[in-house]
Amino acid sequence: VSSRTLFIGAVEIGTSKITVLVGEYTGRELAIIGRGECSSRGVIKGTVVDYKAASECTHSALEQAEREAGERIEVVFLAQTGSHLEGFYNEASVNVKASDNMIDAADIRTVCDLAKSKDLPEGRVVVHNIRRPFRVDGRLVPGTPENLVGQRLDVGYWTVHGQEQRLADNIHVIRGFNLEVRELVLSSLAAGHMVTTAEERQHGVLAVDIGAGTTDFVLYRDGAPHITGILPVGGTHLTNDLSIGLRLTEGQAEKLKLRFGRANLITRDKTQKVWLDGNFAIGDRQFPQQMIEQITSARTWELLEVVKKKLGMAFSPETCSAGVVLTGGTAKLAGIADTAAKVFGVPAHLGETPTWVSENLRDPGYHTALGLLYYGVNASSDHLAGARRRGGFFGNVKRLFANT
Amino acid sequence: VTRDSLQLPAARSWRDIPQPVVPRAMSREGRWRLTMAVVRSTFVVLVCAAALWTVWYVAMSMQDNTGTPLKAAVLKTDGVLDDAWLARALALPKHSSLVQLDLEQLRSRLLADGQIVSATLTRDFPDRLVVQVTERVPIARVMLESAGQQHVFVVARDGVVYDGKGYDEATIALLPWLDGVEIVPEGHGFRPIAGMAEAAELLGKARLEAEHLYLTWAVISLARLETDHQIEVRTKNGPCLIRFSTRDDYFRQLVKLNYVWDQITRVPDAKATIDLSLGQDVPVMVENPESSGPGQPSHPGVVPGRSVAHEAALSLTRPVPVASQSALFHLPYSQPNQKKREL
Repeated sequence: VSSRTLFIGAVEIGTSKITVLVGEYTGRELAIIGRGECSSRGVIKGTVVDYKAASECTHSALEQAEREAGERIEVVFLAQTGSHLEGFYNEASVNVKASDNMIDAADIRTVCDLAKSKDLPEGRVVVHNIRRPFRVDGRLVPGTPENLVGQRLDVGYWTVHGQEQRLADNIHVIRGFNLEVRELVLSSLAAGHMVTTAEERQHGVLAVDIGAGTTDFVLYRDGAPHITGILPVGGTHLTNDLSIGLRLTEGQAEKLKLRFGRANLITRDKTQKVWLDGNFAIGDRQFPQQMIEQITSARTWELLEVVKKKLGMAFSPETCSAGVVLTGGTAKLAGIADTAAKVFGVPAHLGETPTWVSENLRDPGYHTALGLLYYGVNASSDHLAGARRRGGFFGNVKRLFANT
Repeated sequence: VTRDSLQLPAARSWRDIPQPVVPRAMSREGRWRLTMAVVRSTFVVLVCAAALWTVWYVAMSMQDNTGTPLKAAVLKTDGVLDDAWLARALALPKHSSLVQLDLEQLRSRLLADGQIVSATLTRDFPDRLVVQVTERVPIARVMLESAGQQHVFVVARDGVVYDGKGYDEATIALLPWLDGVEIVPEGHGFRPIAGMAEAAELLGKARLEAEHLYLTWAVISLARLETDHQIEVRTKNGPCLIRFSTRDDYFRQLVKLNYVWDQITRVPDAKATIDLSLGQDVPVMVENPESSGPGQPSHPGVVPGRSVAHEAALSLTRPVPVASQSALFHLPYSQPNQKKREL
C-alpha cells in the first residue's frame, strides 16, 4: 500500500451554516487537520435556491478550511439532505443454484443485482443502495452467506434516491471550486454513524439529526441502516413559530429560542417573564417564559411525532432497544431528550462525540461533517485506495489534469 | 435464473451526473484554483515535453555518433610524441565511431608504452578524440640486444627503460651510457632499474650547474652504488674515471671536480681517476700517458680508469694555494703506482 496521503474535504451545506472539515487520510488512519465555517446563504431546507450565494459561502468555508489545514483538498465528501430525497425497500430472492445447495459468489451477485434493479422515475438518481442482512431460508446472516448451505437466498436493499437537478446543483457548487465530489453521503447516515456505537446499531437504535431546516433520521437494525428519512422541518420552524406567536423578528425569536427555549414545559408560573435582550436598553421587552416553552415544546413534540409516523411499522420499542439518539444543532434545545423518550417510548439521549474527537469539534453541529469523513472513508475505501495508489509523479500528473 | 439471463435495468446513480467545470459558474476562488491548476498542468506538460525532447535529442545524437566515423584523434603532450605515434599506439579500426570506443582499453594501450606516464582520453563530440599524455624524460641510455640486434633504449628518472621515440639524435647523443646495472626483461618491457633517482639527481645537477663537465661524461655506472654508495662516471676524452658519493652533496663534489678538472685538462690525453667520495680529500690517480701505448690500458684486463699508474692523494683545504695546485701536474710520472704527493 502506498504511503501517499489523501486530503479529503467533508462538506455539509446546511440551511443555517456551511461546515467544512479537512481530513488527512493515510490509509490506516484519518486525522482532522482543518475546519472552515460560514453562515449559509442561498440554501433553504438543504436545497440550493441561490447558486451564486451558496457558492460564495461554500467556497469561503472551503478556503478557510484549506488555509487552516495548510493543505489543498483533493476530493470532497458531500453531505446530502433535502425533502427531494426519498427511499424505498426492494427485496429479491433466488434459489441456490448448486446441487449441494452451497451458496456461491454468483448466487450472491445475482440476488443483489435483482434487489437493486428497480426502475426509478424520470429525473431521479440513486444516492445510496443500503443492503440489509442476507437471509438463508429465512435465517438471518449478519455477514456474507457464501459457502453456507440453504435452498433460498434473500436480500433487501433500502434505496435512497433524489432529484437529479437538485443533486447536480449541490455538486456544481463544489465543482465551482475546482474540486471533485468523490462521495455523496446522506446526512442522516453520516451523523448516525458518528453518534451511535456498533453495539447500539446491532441492538437497534434511531438516530435523529435535527438541523435548522431539515430533520434527518435513520433507524438501525441488525447493525445496518434499516430506514432513512428526511423531514423538511427543523429548528427554523421553532424560530418561526416564536416569531409569529410573540410578534418578533426572526433574529429576536432565534435569540429567545436559544436562551429560553425548551422541548418540554417546566415553567408553571404564567407571570414569570424573561427579557428579550437582558440589557434593559430602550426597546428591550419582556416575554412570558411559559409561552416560549409552550411554543417550542409543542413544535418539538410535533416534529418528533412526525418522525415516528414516518417510521411507521418499522419502529417499535422492541426493535429499537438501544433507544433514540438526538443530534444536530436543534438537539441542543433543553429537555429534548425527555420529550423524545416520551414520544418514542424508549430511552433517549443526546449524541455524544467519541472521546478521540478534539474539544473544539465536540459540538453536535459537527456530527454530520465528522460522520461524513468516517462513513465516507469506510464506504468508499476501495475508491480511496485507488486514489492513494495513484501516487508518485505520474499520479500527481493525472490528478493535475483531473483537477483541470 | 442466472445472472446473465436477467435483463436487469440499470438504475442511474448520482455518479452518472456529469461534473463539468464551467468558469462562468465558478467563484473568484474557484477560478483562481482553476487558473493555478492550468498553470501547473502547463508547467508539467512543458517539463515532460522538455524531458522527452532531451531524451530524443540524446538518442538521436548517439545514433548519429554511432553512424559517423571518428575524424581525428588529437594528441596533447608535454613531450616529443606526435600524432603518427598516437595513431600507431591507438590502432583504431577504420570507421570506428566515438561512442563505440572503449576509452579504458585505449588508455591501457597507451600506458603500455614506457614513454607514457599518464594518459587522459576525452570524447569531443561529435567526431574527435582528445588524448592528453605526460611523457617520461630520458636521463641516460643503454644498449640492449633486442631480437638479435643491438638497440638503444633510454632510461627515465624512475628507472623505467623504454624505447625512446620521437627524440632527435642530438638529444640522445648527449645522454651518458648507463653501466653497472642489470636489465631484467619483464612482460613486454623491462623491470625498472633501482637507484636511478640518485643517478638522475647527479646528472640533473651536473647538467644544470656544470654543463661543460656533463658534456664530457660518456658512461655513468651504478655498479658500486649498492655496495659503496658511489656513482662512477667515465669521461669521453681520456677517459677519466670520476667517483661520486651518493652520501655527499653533489654540488660540492661538482665544485671540487671542476677545480680538479681544470688542472687535468691541461695535460693532454691525461687518464686519471678522481675520487670525490672521500669528503675533503680528493685523491687523483693519474696514469702516465707515456707508460702505456696508445689505446692500450696500463694494465691489460683492467678497466683503464681503475688501473692506477700514478697515485696521488690530494688533500684540498680551502683556500688552496695556486702554486700547490699546479704542482700536481708536474709530478714525475716515471714512477707508476709509487709516487704520492700531497698538495
